[in-house]
Amino acid sequence: MNKLMSDKKTIFLLVAPGFLILVSMIIFPIGMSIYYGFTDWGGIGDYNFIGFENFKNILFSDEIFRTSLINALLLTVATILIQHPIAIFLSILITHCGRWEKVLRTILFIPAIISVVVTAKLWASIYNPQYGLLNNILDSIGLSSLKQDWLGNPDLAIWSVIIVTIWQGFGYAFLLYYAGLKGVPDELYEAAKIDGANPFQLYTKVVIPLLAPMMRVAIIIAVISCLKQMEVVYLMTNGGPGNSTQFLGNYLYQTAFSYAKYGYGNAISVLFVIVVLIITVVLNKVLKRDVGEY
Amino acid sequence: MNTNSKLNISQKRKRKPPKVGKVILYTFMAIVGILQLFPLLWLFDYSLLKSGNFFGDAVFQFPSPPQWDNYVKAFTQGHVLPYFFNSLLVTLVSVAITAVVSILLAYAFTRMKWKFNVLFMNIILLGMMIPIHATLLPNFIIFNQVGLLNSYWALILPYTAFNIPISMFIVSGFMETIPKTIEEAAVIDGCSIWGILFKIILPITRPAIATISVVNFINCWNEFIMAYTFITLDKFKTLPFSIIQFVGQYSSNYGAQFAVMSLIAIPSIIIYLIFTDEINKGLMSGSVKG
Repeated sequence: MNKLMSDKKTIFLLVAPGFLILVSMIIFPIGMSIYYGFTDWGGIGDYNFIGFENFKNILFSDEIFRTSLINALLLTVATILIQHPIAIFLSILITHCGRWEKVLRTILFIPAIISVVVTAKLWASIYNPQYGLLNNILDSIGLSSLKQDWLGNPDLAIWSVIIVTIWQGFGYAFLLYYAGLKGVPDELYEAAKIDGANPFQLYTKVVIPLLAPMMRVAIIIAVISCLKQMEVVYLMTNGGPGNSTQFLGNYLYQTAFSYAKYGYGNAISVLFVIVVLIITVVLNKVLKRDVGEY
Repeated sequence: MNTNSKLNISQKRKRKPPKVGKVILYTFMAIVGILQLFPLLWLFDYSLLKSGNFFGDAVFQFPSPPQWDNYVKAFTQGHVLPYFFNSLLVTLVSVAITAVVSILLAYAFTRMKWKFNVLFMNIILLGMMIPIHATLLPNFIIFNQVGLLNSYWALILPYTAFNIPISMFIVSGFMETIPKTIEEAAVIDGCSIWGILFKIILPITRPAIATISVVNFINCWNEFIMAYTFITLDKFKTLPFSIIQFVGQYSSNYGAQFAVMSLIAIPSIIIYLIFTDEINKGLMSGSVKG
């Protein structure tokens, strides 16, 4: 048995296909990105090695890079402070809905499985100043004075985008907390009731603290996905107006493909990977305190 | 039908009088559900309107008569049919390759004894953390140089690569629950590793394979930015391109634009409704690991 399980040829055949694909499509390209990050290549023709020039510029004098990070931070905070409390609240309510539970769960998740292209273009239409749903609604409830070009106003555009990503990602946050709630054993509810807890105490004192491990997971996922945000922005505003909705993924894409600064774009790309890796590792370390078993 | 349901309700009422709390709860949840779906309902509603009616002030407009013609236009002008076929081909091949490769990897990590498994596991974890957007620029150059731009492989290979890590973890998690005694018995009977893998492990692992396949299907089906970067020829474009095409070429034909969006959204919704449990399970195990 042991001999069979450590047969080198078999192991090679099991591992090789997967590794070939992973390394050639993800690891090797990142290596190439690092290489081009040290050059001033424009996409075609010759290029020179310029050392850490690109990285220095990005880190110390690139306003747009800073805006992108701040937007990611803003999106993360908004997600955690707006989306997550609603998700927790609704997942608690939904467990009391009996036979409607499954239907409601499905409805809440539907926006999350729709193609991002549809989501982005749909919301661009909702925000549209001529025929958009949002302005129509404001009209019909007598708030016409609030009508806006929601994506054209540099102060508002980022919030318009944030609402879209909160709507789109809501299903995932909801599903996580819902699963967390389902993991709380029934005996705990019984015990709390016997001890005389009212429903409000039951949730604030017993159930929500027990959701802490799920919150950890949900927060890590939120931070990472906010940092990786790109498609919605690319399709709705392309970072504009005036880079006010810029995110790292979109910025590196724009730099390389629209402004033909391929070397610089790759340097942004490399820093992007580094930021994501550092944040993932740090969050996992910081939030990994064991929260106790039930 | 109508009297029947009334009868049911009155019978229930007799048994259990509805509480005020429940009524408030259901009303509230119904409102939440409608609000959540409202943008989509608006999309479907407007996809049946004449483009000229888009500029009315009403939030909802009853399409009279419904402009099914919008969908016909969407089909022809949005190239929906050929793009649909491309999406299907790319998605199915990616899903199939991901499944096979993930099973092989998962077996190597859960059963085989080898020196570098920690190192290789870390590489897979790394692959999971790297954002796809960081591979767009280098992969564009690589594909350009090896002549893969504008081919199905330019999508299948990266799609597969980005789906492998999570799929592998889901399948591994499942394989760990399979008792090893079955395999030991098979080895004594003279079965090879490949025999064990395909005749014993594969059938047992089916639920996990179903889970990863459905989740990967949705991922590939909805993927946009890689397709947009690596494909410029009509022949290989996938479904999300239909919208882009439309916004550019027929930007004033709003009704047909909305019809295209509906046409792209509907397959995902149907797949989700059929495989709700698999998708929820897959997303949960995927995200908890990550």
